[in-house]
Amino acid sequence: MKNKLFQKVLCLILSVTLLLGSMGLTVSATSLKYDPNERNPYKATTLEEMQSLVGTLPYAEYSANNAGVKPGPYVLKLDVTNFTEATNSEIKVVKDSEVVSNAITQDGSNWVDFDYDANAGSSIYLPSTGSVTWSLKVGENAEGISEAGLYYIKIEYFSCITPESSVSPIERGFLINGKIPFSEVASISLDKTWTFDYISSETTDAPGEPDSYDVDYVWGNGHDSYQKIVTSVVDGKKTVTTYTLSQDIIGNSMSPGAEATPSWSTYYLQDETGYHSGNFAFNLIEGDHQITFRAERDPVIIKSIEFVPAENAEETKSYEEYLKEHESLADKDASSGDIIFIEAEFPDAVSDSSVSPSNDNTSPVNSPVVSGTQLYNVIGETGFSSIGQWASYKFKVTDSGFYNLGMRFKQSVLQGMFVCRTLKLSGGEYGEGGTATVPFDEAYNLKFDYSDNWQSSYVTDGEQVFRFYFEEGVEYTMYLECSLGTLKEYIQAAENALLEVNAAYLRILQLTGTDPDENSDSYNFMEVMPDVLITILEQAVALEQAHKSLKEICGTNGQHIATLETIYTLFDKVGSKNGENIAANLSTLKSYLGTLGTWINDSKSSTVMVDSIVVAPMKVVDGELKEDESKLPRVEANFFESIWFEIVAFFSSFFIDYDKMGVTAEIEENIEHIDVWLASGRDQSQIWRTMIDAQGGFTDKTGVSVALKLVTGGTLLPSILSRKGPDVYLGLGSAEVINYAIRDAVLGVNGLEPRFTDEQNAIFTTERYTYKNADGTFETTLTPIDGKEVSFTTLPFNKLIVDEYGEEIFSKAALDTVMISPGIEKDENGKITALPAVCYGLPRTMQFAMMFYRMDVLADLGQEVPESWDDLLSILPVLQANNMQIGVSYVSALDFMIYQEGGNMWKYTDTDRYDAAYAGAAIDIDSEVALAAFDFTCRLYSDYSFPVSYDAANRFRTGEMPILIGSYADLYNQLVVYATEIAGLWEFCSLPGSYREETGEFNYNSLAQVTATIILNGCESRGNLLPAWQFMQWETAAEQSAEFGNRIVAIMGPSAKYETANLNAIDDLSWTASEKEAIMNQMDHMSSIVNYPGSYIISRYVSFAFLDAVNNDANAIDAMRSYIGAINSEIERKRAEFGLWVPTEEEPVPPEKETYKPPVQQ
Amino acid sequence: MSQMNKTQGPVKRGEVSKLRWTWEEMKNNKTAYFMVAPFLLLFIIFTVLPVFLSIILSLTDFNMLQVPNLVGIDNYMRLFMDDEIFILACQNTLIFACITGPVSYILALLVAWFINELPPKIRAVVTLVFYAPSISGQAYLVWKTLFSSDSYGWVNAVLLKYGLISSPILWFSDADYVMPLCIVVALWTSLGTAFLSFIAGLQTIDRSMYEAAAVDGIKNRWQELWYITLPTMRPQLMFGAVLSITNSFGFGGVVTALCGFPSVDYAAHTIMHHLSDYGGSRYEIGYSSAIAVILFIIMFSANIIIKKALSKVGE
Repeated sequence: MKNKLFQKVLCLILSVTLLLGSMGLTVSATSLKYDPNERNPYKATTLEEMQSLVGTLPYAEYSANNAGVKPGPYVLKLDVTNFTEATNSEIKVVKDSEVVSNAITQDGSNWVDFDYDANAGSSIYLPSTGSVTWSLKVGENAEGISEAGLYYIKIEYFSCITPESSVSPIERGFLINGKIPFSEVASISLDKTWTFDYISSETTDAPGEPDSYDVDYVWGNGHDSYQKIVTSVVDGKKTVTTYTLSQDIIGNSMSPGAEATPSWSTYYLQDETGYHSGNFAFNLIEGDHQITFRAERDPVIIKSIEFVPAENAEETKSYEEYLKEHESLADKDASSGDIIFIEAEFPDAVSDSSVSPSNDNTSPVNSPVVSGTQLYNVIGETGFSSIGQWASYKFKVTDSGFYNLGMRFKQSVLQGMFVCRTLKLSGGEYGEGGTATVPFDEAYNLKFDYSDNWQSSYVTDGEQVFRFYFEEGVEYTMYLECSLGTLKEYIQAAENALLEVNAAYLRILQLTGTDPDENSDSYNFMEVMPDVLITILEQAVALEQAHKSLKEICGTNGQHIATLETIYTLFDKVGSKNGENIAANLSTLKSYLGTLGTWINDSKSSTVMVDSIVVAPMKVVDGELKEDESKLPRVEANFFESIWFEIVAFFSSFFIDYDKMGVTAEIEENIEHIDVWLASGRDQSQIWRTMIDAQGGFTDKTGVSVALKLVTGGTLLPSILSRKGPDVYLGLGSAEVINYAIRDAVLGVNGLEPRFTDEQNAIFTTERYTYKNADGTFETTLTPIDGKEVSFTTLPFNKLIVDEYGEEIFSKAALDTVMISPGIEKDENGKITALPAVCYGLPRTMQFAMMFYRMDVLADLGQEVPESWDDLLSILPVLQANNMQIGVSYVSALDFMIYQEGGNMWKYTDTDRYDAAYAGAAIDIDSEVALAAFDFTCRLYSDYSFPVSYDAANRFRTGEMPILIGSYADLYNQLVVYATEIAGLWEFCSLPGSYREETGEFNYNSLAQVTATIILNGCESRGNLLPAWQFMQWETAAEQSAEFGNRIVAIMGPSAKYETANLNAIDDLSWTASEKEAIMNQMDHMSSIVNYPGSYIISRYVSFAFLDAVNNDANAIDAMRSYIGAINSEIERKRAEFGLWVPTEEEPVPPEKETYKPPVQQ
Repeated sequence: MSQMNKTQGPVKRGEVSKLRWTWEEMKNNKTAYFMVAPFLLLFIIFTVLPVFLSIILSLTDFNMLQVPNLVGIDNYMRLFMDDEIFILACQNTLIFACITGPVSYILALLVAWFINELPPKIRAVVTLVFYAPSISGQAYLVWKTLFSSDSYGWVNAVLLKYGLISSPILWFSDADYVMPLCIVVALWTSLGTAFLSFIAGLQTIDRSMYEAAAVDGIKNRWQELWYITLPTMRPQLMFGAVLSITNSFGFGGVVTALCGFPSVDYAAHTIMHHLSDYGGSRYEIGYSSAIAVILFIIMFSANIIIKKALSKVGE
């Protein structure tokens, strides 16, 4: 009973905190007045902004308009420290590292590895939000020479790493005089440099030793790692650099952690999509110009911005010139030099954390390879395919002269096509101090041909094998960079065709609708829209040209290339004969546009897997330099080797314990450890394992080992049944959490503290834990073990969910979904009271619906982004007149509409602060408010003909469905990889709101879908309660959630956004500033459906009623009412099963909340 | 084997007690029992035992997570007295079984009979064509594309184009269409193992029997079918019948894949669905075991009836 009392007190505290928290919410909500201009403090992009964004010229047109403009006379420098306007007070001029740290951190902590001394001078720090503007005067100089002309823009920047930094590149919008000069610079990204944490370096004095440079590849102790060891001696200093790819206990390589390294870089504004080689040329006319940087993502320090005359950019030379240049050098022969062998899986630096080593076991010749294990031996299998990504390798040669660069690679993705890489070099003549140059023009187009097998060859552009001049003793770095190379003009032709024909398709759609009448000849395309037909025919010709030349270059009409043929044939058919064929082929045209989009995506992703690189010296034979093919890496194994390799792999699969995947050390049974299960992917599980084992990770802080196990979804239930369940389970859906909780399988996490004190001695005999009892709360810290100062503060539940300023850490809506009263109590008079609600887990992920919209389409139609359902319905006729639709997922709309209108699924919930005995005893869909909301939702589909079933991503992509409502992370993740051609043309924002008369406010609420981290019931008897609770806190904390979210994006790319439930973590995830703002705003407007016994029946019958109304034109309200009885009786039956309060004839559920007085006083 | 039996001779039933007689017979045929043992063991563990277990569980309120309590025949009482959806599910199952069972059975038989008349090479090809839908796993999902609720779904697109409908029909989410569509799909996939066994049965028939029958006065092909073909392949007929009963009663997965779970307004809710509804989403294993027992009884009696009916073939 004492425990119960304590729980009650805790719950009271909790409820007060929650109440306070929600008051904060209400206060912010009351500030919204029904003012059409200022309804929601968060504004979606306005029509004007959308129009200016969409209306911006592409660079191709911009440069065509500037044809004939001369380059500027000399370099114009912008004084970056002297800005005219800044919208963020944190924008500061920095002179040295001291100033930077003072300027940034109020709390005095130092955040930067800021190597400033090397680059003395004034710079400006730009945080991750806000914009800064400089003024540039372009006029005549003293000699009367006009400064107007074409300029390149050169930026010198420092990619500082601060707490604001994300894993994504730094992004800035670039404006001249408040306008984006052309669409490509609406968002420019400045790369960071990433290095892997597998590199360690040690320098010792080695007096007297001659200069040398050695590279070795060795196995680590007991085969537990594969290492590259570089030993170099320069001027009596010996440096040993070790690259280590470590392995788990069954021999699989572990992902090396990549870390962004702060570094200085120089960048010319240029095309990141790869279509325009060279730099962007800006036309500056005489007069004052306002140059603005608008922050999109991540802080940066800028040292200089220079306007370089457009012709003055680094001169490029042809291969012929390059050879001529080195002809005079006496020593061309390099034959006394060694072959340099480089394992591609050990890059020195990469441009992007997703460029990381991986495993390929398709050949026994791969180096290194062990049959049956996943050893990292290649780079570029995934994550190394976007234009501009690079990996770099350092090397030194031992004899000056000409060398060939050879590679063992496999390019089996683009059938019948080739993939291009650009080779850049730095060091010696190629550029000192981090500047890399392309040695000659042809090095932009190194070709990697298609083959199902591994290939081994010297780098070539398809016509000649290139030679490179290297000098002895110079440390060179080679950069292999993804580029489109010679493919770019064809891909651009295809992209152009896609945009033009898609626009034509939308115009045809406006005339005919999606189902044109094939037999009607009344459309008269030739008279109504001759330009559309001409466009389609033009693009058919352009595609045909592209296909023809592609076929010529590649020598075959492979499957990939042949796709173009089918597409242009259709374009030709549709466009010819005055458009007679349009009606019959419209839907084919649409699906072919999708195919073309996919074709472009595929062609752009230039994937080539590289196993090893050789720098092979050339020899002069008979006065001629000769390539020596024998120095290339061995291509393929012979038949017997392959067979043996497969046999070993097959039999070793019987002996490998796949549960040990990613485990670095055996956890012995008697060591204190907790079992944690995760039903997710291998990458996710490895990230968690790394984070747990890392220095300063969970084990380090608490001394508790974690046995993390990757399981499949349905494993938990049988494991509980057989009493072999884990201590902690990550990511169980909230409905399941409650299902398990009411059957005693899950532990409530509020009020756990008394359990620790009572059983502290029994459980924790190791004396590791000390308890501090301050202000009536428990804080658990770990005393130093083995002299190591480690500590982990275990917070009580109420401190976990609200921070010290009273701000929510987890949304109340999310917490509600995992809370329920654990049962009932009978007093001496037989009165039933429900126990206060208990929280059965901490929210881990939270999904909710948001609104996605196509800016270009809305701008075209001249429509604002709708902020309310009234707005939405008022622009609907405009959309429908153009044969467009609005996509709303009915499953989520049915629910959130009830909450937006002020209704609730349940008559009483725990969180209403009514007597919990009534909570969840009856549904409230039969209330007037809820029925009206239900009716409104049904009418969207029946009267306003919203489609019930649709392919969301595809229609959003074509523009047929410019407004789409769905789960934000799912849709975002899908669109960002699936519809790359509309990148930058869409955004998302909070749901449209419903006006509520009683408050005079709009309600924008969305509903939270939660998965939680839970502690299973068997945990306590195993004595793991405290460590399990600590793990749970650690895992759902902002720091870990953000780190995990960033790591998974780093490995799997931007389409793996983590929908964390920790509100404080959002800020540190790699969303752009505007995306963050939108998500945070929706998180402020959040409700949820509380789970009670029998919850499952509601959505079932609600959707029955909905389908009845939509299919059979039934009256929506009557349809819904007819199911109320069935829903309530199922809920009552379920409640009876758990002995909960059930309404009877004598004591029904009180009808009105307002007049109801709780019968039982607590 | 047969030699051993001959030397020892079968034990005469009348001389010893029934138990004793069985034991002796078993001893005589111990090699056979030994050879069937592995299967028998697995069969008992994975089929017979679960059946008994579910009979026991059906008398409890087991919920997968907590220790069950005995509740007697409460579950059965509720099933028949207080569960409208169960009655609906029974009704759906019977409609389903009565249509797809016999139709698919007769269809399989007729198609097998026709195909059997074809030249061997063509027969092989045609057999594959008819058998393909049932072996190709989830091929029935093609119906989902065909009858997609989207206005771009094939059937919807065609109907819209010819102006037969003005807005897309939500085929698998519309109570009016769900059941007929599912029956069509069930028939499409039903030419499975039964059909193959029929073909095999037809192949085993001795040609000379037809000649003898012709001498005895068989007048037409129908008489040939009824008096010669069918009685000769009675074992295959039995096998096919059992399969088609089990299939038509247990036809749940395909419906779920096509219409979602539960189907709209329980329009295609069968006993199988009801069972997994209670066992899966409501954690009432006791109750769902009771449903399983009922389903077992229904299938069992259907089999007995079929067996009786089949014995009349050819008479």
